[in-house]
Amino acid sequence: MTTLIEAPPSDADGLLPTKKKKSGGGLGQYLLIRFLLIFPTIFILVTMVFFLMRITGDPITAALGGRLPPDQLQERIHAAGYDRPLPVQYFEYLGQLVTGNFGTTLSDNRKVIEMLATYGSATLELTINALIVALLVGIPFGMIAAHRRDHLPDAVLRVFAILCYATPVFFAGMLLKLTFAVWLGWLPVAGRARTSSELALTGLQAPTGIYWLDALRSGNMAALGDVMAHAVLPALALGLLTAGIFLRLVRTNVIGTLGRDYIEAGRSRGVSEFRLVTKHAYKPALIPIITVMGLQIAVMLGGAVLTETTFEWKGLGFQLANYLTARDFVAVQGIVVLLAVIVAVTNFIVDIVAALIDPRVRY
Amino acid sequence: MAKNQRALRSAIALAGVSAFALTACTGPSGGGGTSTGGAGGGTITYGTTDKVVTLDPAGSYDAGSFMVMNQVYPFLMNSKPGSSDAVPDIAESASFTTPTEYTVKLKPGLKFANGHALTSSDVKFSIDRVVKIADPNGPAALLSNLKSVAAKDDSTVVFTLKAGNDQVFPGVLAANSGPIVDEEVFPADKVLGDDEIVKGKPFAGPYTIESYKKNELVSLKANPDYQGLLGKPANDGANIKYYADSNNLKLDVQQGNIDVAGRSLTATDAADLEKDSKVKVHKGPGGELRYIVFNFDTMPFGAKTADADPKKALAVRQAMADIVDRDAIATQVYKGTYLPAYSVVPDGFNGAIQPLKEMYGDGNGKPSLDKAKKAFADAGITGTVNIKLQYNPDHYGKSSGDEYAMIKEQLEKSGLFKVDLQSTEWVTYSKARTADAYPVYQLGWFPDYSDADNYLTPFFVPGNFLKNHYENSAVTELVTKQLTTVDKGEREKVLGEAQTAVAKDLSTLPLLQGAQLMVAGADVKGVEQTLDASFKTRLGVISK
Repeated sequence: MTTLIEAPPSDADGLLPTKKKKSGGGLGQYLLIRFLLIFPTIFILVTMVFFLMRITGDPITAALGGRLPPDQLQERIHAAGYDRPLPVQYFEYLGQLVTGNFGTTLSDNRKVIEMLATYGSATLELTINALIVALLVGIPFGMIAAHRRDHLPDAVLRVFAILCYATPVFFAGMLLKLTFAVWLGWLPVAGRARTSSELALTGLQAPTGIYWLDALRSGNMAALGDVMAHAVLPALALGLLTAGIFLRLVRTNVIGTLGRDYIEAGRSRGVSEFRLVTKHAYKPALIPIITVMGLQIAVMLGGAVLTETTFEWKGLGFQLANYLTARDFVAVQGIVVLLAVIVAVTNFIVDIVAALIDPRVRY
Repeated sequence: MAKNQRALRSAIALAGVSAFALTACTGPSGGGGTSTGGAGGGTITYGTTDKVVTLDPAGSYDAGSFMVMNQVYPFLMNSKPGSSDAVPDIAESASFTTPTEYTVKLKPGLKFANGHALTSSDVKFSIDRVVKIADPNGPAALLSNLKSVAAKDDSTVVFTLKAGNDQVFPGVLAANSGPIVDEEVFPADKVLGDDEIVKGKPFAGPYTIESYKKNELVSLKANPDYQGLLGKPANDGANIKYYADSNNLKLDVQQGNIDVAGRSLTATDAADLEKDSKVKVHKGPGGELRYIVFNFDTMPFGAKTADADPKKALAVRQAMADIVDRDAIATQVYKGTYLPAYSVVPDGFNGAIQPLKEMYGDGNGKPSLDKAKKAFADAGITGTVNIKLQYNPDHYGKSSGDEYAMIKEQLEKSGLFKVDLQSTEWVTYSKARTADAYPVYQLGWFPDYSDADNYLTPFFVPGNFLKNHYENSAVTELVTKQLTTVDKGEREKVLGEAQTAVAKDLSTLPLLQGAQLMVAGADVKGVEQTLDASFKTRLGVISK
């Protein structure tokens, strides 16, 4: 599933020989190429989304085909310009995208760009929260599993990891909701915040739409607590999926690093096993995490559709499900394009971070 | 570098600890945190699974949109909580000055929240635009008896009617067609977007909209300038929270995150909540009617189908009326929270009779396969008839799925029908049904005013709300006659005749009638006041 990518170990205890820097194109050139690659990537994604959405015909027919009399259907298709040749529509669509015009939704007459801005921040918040859960759970547990390799904690954590990434995200969500919200009553059932918090945060001047950030910016600690209480279960449902992958990845990498010569040298010099894991083996384990994180963002965005629906987290995933039900392909196309852009940009950022941490990535 | 790492670690640790500490300090309990504790009784939060189609009165005729309109727009006529009689709201007086002229005098000094004066010109504008726009989802059909509106002076409006002595016209002014809007904000010829409406503050009802997230959260604040019948709200403000899943609505009212849960909890939810001491289930008179609509153009053997045959089309409708088992649906799906309906006018309204009980099935309200077979044989239908049956899963409650699964089962079990059951989300459904998209489909009705006429005029006269191409001049005549008959006894007789005539044609097939239902926290007061026969949700009477 994932490849083991090694990075230079930490040298806090002076275990490593002096390295000789390799020659290459340099960080600037590397980043420029990566940056320029974003555009063809997005272009290909947008093109694919556009044509895939047209496989079943134009959006009006997809939404209302078979339900409207042919003359009315044709009238609406013509009014929306979907009866023109596909290449004309495509280039017009590209032109609209460049000017930030994603069109208007068919089912509730909203400007798609406004809809994306409104709900995108909610999904971004959920993804950040889930990522935090994934890192907080995956990294320490992975290191513990590696440190206690082939002992009981390792076995337990490996089973835990398998359960995490093998459990469908909606099932995990329902289970968490039933346990912690319905039976125990410890956490809220659904939504992003209580009404009072939501009103306080949306009433701010220039809110970001990321509630915990808005609460922090306004110093509203009550709202912050409320928002975080609402965030726990959705973040766990979505984050544990990735946490399991991170756990396995960290464990494998730490074990791999622990077998290397400089670690052996450390052992022979009397450095404790705990210190070797926490000081010398953790960094090589983090590099693949950062690389895989880029891929996991796409997985998380997919999982967000189910998580948002389960917890009424009104973000892009929730809306995507609604618009799919309404067969509103204009809205669906807008959301999918935005998600594609997010994935492309995230991967670029991950590339930068990986290149900064591990110079070998650039070559 | 090491220093930076330590700082990073410290920051992460601090963030983590803070997060857990903050999370531990909060929880779902505690009254929902919605009360602001203001002098006027705090803020209440009402939850619903209904959706707003549009805030523009000219473009919607649904319970979700009208619920919000009732809070923010003024009406010439309205009803006091606890009553269903239409009496002056922002009007000072209203009466028939001749049989065909209804004259309304406005209260002095009325104004919208944006500061614009509310005059007779706004009233004329508001009513005229509903008729002019005639949106397929709008309430223009309610104004079918209106000939013209004139603003005689700043405070006097004269409505000229086509048929004199319209006994329900005051009720029509209190209904979906009656919200008064600001002519300086709304365009005369098209529906205005919600965000523009909220920005323009054209509100002069008991509340103004303070913040608006469509179908997520609407925040209302008491309007100090409202001079109408309903008076000052018992709360400082109200929030309307929208849910996609009625299960979450139920859980949130149980946990105190919202104060009142309105439409639409399932029957199972209601039965479950009655056992919970933290909440109280309130029931009110039921005007809700659930029914099947036949599109006379596109239904099997409909006028625009390849094998068009009115006799066979009628036989299909009759056979369905013979086969459907309302008792089974009411008891098995709705646990007795709905009752079988045998007329297009629910039982309990003045003039309501039950013609379908005798005319179809076994003559006593139960199904009859023999009668259905006879209807088919008499019309010359052989073999099974394919029915494309549409229902909506998010507007009439989650149990619609079970209700229509049972109808499919009942119809197919007869061997006379093969049913292709489909569902569509409400925003699309409400538009598609008026565009002949569905040959046979589900609808429900919450009355706009408490009168049997409200179950007749909107449905069975030409240009009606159903847009199902049904037209019968005899029915139209009867519906019009009851509308203008002043003598009460005579009017009830005509109402009965109209119901019988409609039952023969079966433009719609009534299935169930229900009760109004709200669930509120034990400390919430006033809910029962809004559960009256006006069928209007008035948040202003609710407090805690």
